Amino acid sequence: MAAADSPSAALRRHDLCSRGIRLAGKMRSDVVDLLDTYVERQGLDASASVAVVEGVPAAAVERWDEQTGTQRLLENLAAYRAFRALLAQMLEEQREQLGEADAALGRALAAVLLQVSAFAYHLEELLRLESRGPPSEEGAGPPPAPHLGLFERKLRGLGVLRELAQWAVRSARDLRQLAKPSPGSSSAPGPAESP
Amino acid sequence: MFSGWNWVAHGLYLLLNICSLEVSGGLVQSCGHIIPESPVLALGSNFTALCILNESCLDFGNIYANQIIWKIKNRVVPKEQYREINRTVSSVTFNDTSSLATPLTCNILADGQIEQNIYGITVTIGLPPEKPKNLSCIVHQVSKLTYPMTCTWNPGRHTFLDTHFRLKYRWPQENFPDCMPKDVNNSCTITDVQFFVNLEVWVEAVNALGKAESDPLVLDPIEIVKPLPPHNLSVNSGILPTVLKLSWENRISPAVMKLKFNIRYRITGDTNWMQVPPEDTASPRTSFSVQGLRPYTEYVFSIRCMKEDGVGYWSDWSEEKTGVTTEDKPSKGPPIWRIIDASHSPASWTVHLMWKALEPFEANGVILQYEVTVRAKSSLSSPPEKYNVSTTNLTLKLPNGTYEVTVIARNRVGASPPSVLLIPASNSKAPVKNVRTLPKDGKLWVGWTAPNSYVLKYVIEWCLVSNSSDCIIEWQNEPGNVQGTYLKGDIKPFKCYLITVYPLYADGQGSGQSVKAYLQQDRPSKGPTVQTKKVGKAEAVLTWNHLTVDEQNGFIRSYTIFYKTVDGNETAVTVDPSKTEYTLSSLTSDTLYTVRMMAYTDGGGRSGPDFTFTTQKFGKGEIEAIVVPVCLAFLLIVLLGVLFCFNKRDLIKKHIWPIVPDPSKSNIAQWSPQVPAKHNFSSKDQMYPEGSFTDVSVVEIEADDKKSFSEQDLKPFDLLKKEKSTSEGHSSGIGGSSCMSSPRQSVSDSDEGETTQNTSSTVQYSTVVLNGYRDQTPVQVFSRSESTQPLLDSEERSEDHAGGGDSTTQRQQYFKQSSGQDETNTDRPCFERTKQITSANEGDLVGFAQLQISGQSSQSLGLGLEKNTQEAALSDVLQASTEGLTVRPEAVEGNPLSVDEMPKSYLPQTVRQGGYMPQ
Repeated sequence: MAAADSPSAALRRHDLCSRGIRLAGKMRSDVVDLLDTYVERQGLDASASVAVVEGVPAAAVERWDEQTGTQRLLENLAAYRAFRALLAQMLEEQREQLGEADAALGRALAAVLLQVSAFAYHLEELLRLESRGPPSEEGAGPPPAPHLGLFERKLRGLGVLRELAQWAVRSARDLRQLAKPSPGSSSAPGPAESP
Repeated sequence: MFSGWNWVAHGLYLLLNICSLEVSGGLVQSCGHIIPESPVLALGSNFTALCILNESCLDFGNIYANQIIWKIKNRVVPKEQYREINRTVSSVTFNDTSSLATPLTCNILADGQIEQNIYGITVTIGLPPEKPKNLSCIVHQVSKLTYPMTCTWNPGRHTFLDTHFRLKYRWPQENFPDCMPKDVNNSCTITDVQFFVNLEVWVEAVNALGKAESDPLVLDPIEIVKPLPPHNLSVNSGILPTVLKLSWENRISPAVMKLKFNIRYRITGDTNWMQVPPEDTASPRTSFSVQGLRPYTEYVFSIRCMKEDGVGYWSDWSEEKTGVTTEDKPSKGPPIWRIIDASHSPASWTVHLMWKALEPFEANGVILQYEVTVRAKSSLSSPPEKYNVSTTNLTLKLPNGTYEVTVIARNRVGASPPSVLLIPASNSKAPVKNVRTLPKDGKLWVGWTAPNSYVLKYVIEWCLVSNSSDCIIEWQNEPGNVQGTYLKGDIKPFKCYLITVYPLYADGQGSGQSVKAYLQQDRPSKGPTVQTKKVGKAEAVLTWNHLTVDEQNGFIRSYTIFYKTVDGNETAVTVDPSKTEYTLSSLTSDTLYTVRMMAYTDGGGRSGPDFTFTTQKFGKGEIEAIVVPVCLAFLLIVLLGVLFCFNKRDLIKKHIWPIVPDPSKSNIAQWSPQVPAKHNFSSKDQMYPEGSFTDVSVVEIEADDKKSFSEQDLKPFDLLKKEKSTSEGHSSGIGGSSCMSSPRQSVSDSDEGETTQNTSSTVQYSTVVLNGYRDQTPVQVFSRSESTQPLLDSEERSEDHAGGGDSTTQRQQYFKQSSGQDETNTDRPCFERTKQITSANEGDLVGFAQLQISGQSSQSLGLGLEKNTQEAALSDVLQASTEGLTVRPEAVEGNPLSVDEMPKSYLPQTVRQGGYMPQ
């Protein structure tokens, strides 16, 4: 806690929040672009409805404004860790499927994956500043990929990207909320604070 | 160099290895090897190598370590660097590896002197890598989503070894593959970077001698972005004529970075950019309205961007786009001036109105026409006259008076404010003072002192003064608060400009004050041609003409006259430039001088052609001063001589003209048939006053055609003719004198065949013929007669010359002068005048001759005979002679003639036959 109260820690936190917000914004922008490319390249319909992707926490949450900062961070971290695994899986599948033929889609996926990874790092750093430290990744990974058909995999990828776009919006809002100087927001222990 | 050696060493090393392989293959067994095998050494370090002999060779070849010789590239290493460790191992040590070369071989002296190579190694010398320094990175945006990052660094010194650089970067929680430079060792480009996460970047340099890493650089790549400039820039004119709206597209997502902008613009054709204040464009946007522009002006725009917070790099400037503002009313009226020509008639003026086209920034559009209004101030009731013109001048004929001229420029939008000019009756207001000029910065500045009254504005007129062209007036307006301006025009150097400044008042104008000026002066294009106006003994008046304006090239400040003699020093005289004449004084007389003249401006001088003149030998009046006294002295001497002679005339006469006895006063003269009166010939008396002719006898012969000469009478003529060639130079007889007689003259006379001498006659007279034949130059001829008869003064006047061939009396005139002096005295002045005897037919002329008196002598003698008369008389005589000449015996008998009948011819008398015979 002492570290969180020190000026350098506050500065660092502000910096992390600020850049996290911008990273989330860029991530959303890139994911939206990627969605268009993905739909086009995978031959999908942009209006296709996708079922909830398994293993991905939903961005929409009830009573969002009642969440504590740590709770937000933890939910974000869990989500992005899941996205990281899912995107890596998608990238692998895309490489297997298209090889190097569609390098642009692969590069875009890799770029989004990097941003997801970077955002997860931001969240971990913020949690460290909260004196909690990031939770271990063991058990937090996505469930083993079920054996799906090609089209299902494409639809699943579409669902992942759409959810990621939604999470990018929510993460930006979460970080803005965290950046607000609301005393106790980060320190007040809440029921959902524990992982 | 080292790399070259490395290649050589490597080749040798391979060769040796092949040899050793062959040997180890069983052909020849190697007897030893070197440790270390092909080392890489740091430059400047020490190095020790060991050559280890095989045990098998010791016994077989009696080879021991003390026989080992170390060589560097066939050069034996000094033994001091050897050390025998045991009987099979020898070492060599080098304190500085820079003395090493490749290959390093271990050799042995087998069987005494035979050197054999045992082994060899290559030695590679280099340096460990230095720590890379000055690492810096920049992210160049190449497309909307592509942001490669290029990092550069200083690789440090050359290592002489194969050194690998790699750019390493990582996130705190994630490593990325290294960036390997291609073809260079000081930069590398990471193809894609992610923003908003701190990236740790560093450079690692590795070679055989070591590894070095630069200091890490931790940065968020978003902070080092150089974005692409905005594109699709467009310029649109707005409603206002001073505003243009710019629109563009940004090529970087606002999610990545927010941008700020710089907008620059300039007028087309201008080189200086203006910039929109940066604070106006410091926020993200895609359009901007540029204000404060000039109407109807084309502008060029360009834009750039960078991260809003100023962290990072400015983009390049975008492509340029142009736009034109809309038109506006002309902002001011055209400057106006006039030239008033009052020379045509005293009651009216020809007024040339001139105005200048507005500058583009004043016209604010295309000027369609000018509206000129002329209003007479004196008669306000008369309506003003209006003219619409599209040119910039208007010529009007106006009666004398005061007028107000107004000019308005009009474009599509509207009219300009009016320009007003008063044309006054006279320039009666106060003029400016002290008009002066100054060349400055290649332009001509005109300054003046303002008059005390308030001046609305000034008009500066100027024109180029030249002999070859008229003064074409140019002019410009200046506001009333200035007292100097630069002339706005093409002012040429070395040309004379006449500049006039007029002050314009609200109610009139002041008279112009003029000054001449040059933008730049040069020396004259030619020098003055000098010549002399007057040259004296010690002075010369030089004169020259002024140079023309075109030749001057500047203000003539002075003339300098240089003059010198042929071998003398040149003398210079400076002359005032207003003069055209100068008198050189103190010159040497009778000397050739060369003179030339230089004209000087501020730009230098130029000499005219040389002119030479010679001073006179004598001064004015000197000749007169010499000649007049000499003449006077001469006259005085002459006068004295005359007086002396006059005083001594008796004595002189005695010596020069001795008194000759006068035969007429002698006793024998008493029987002379005729004694003519002396006093009838006054002229003769004057001519011979001294009695040089004592007397003249006159004989008259009358030839009567009715009478024929007897045969006997004619005989003497034949004889005369026959004797004519022998009659030369004989003079005899009493007093038979011959004036100017000479034998030669007698001969020439005889050629004429006109004079004969009757040698049979006892009386001979000298006869002088003074006239030429047929107008030829008379030759003095004389024939001499001999006579026993005393000399007679006779004189005969011919009384009838006009008589025809039938005239009863043809008087032949003979004249004889005889002085009765000694015939040898030829200096005596004496004259004989005779009628020259001419003959038309020589054969027919028998003993008859006519003596013709020369006209000149006849005048002095008063004998008045004209030549034609004489010739007529002669022809008569000749005609008579063909018929026979009868000499009247009466005349021969000496009938005395009265004074009036005194013949003008004189014939000698023949005494013996009682008649006179012509000779």
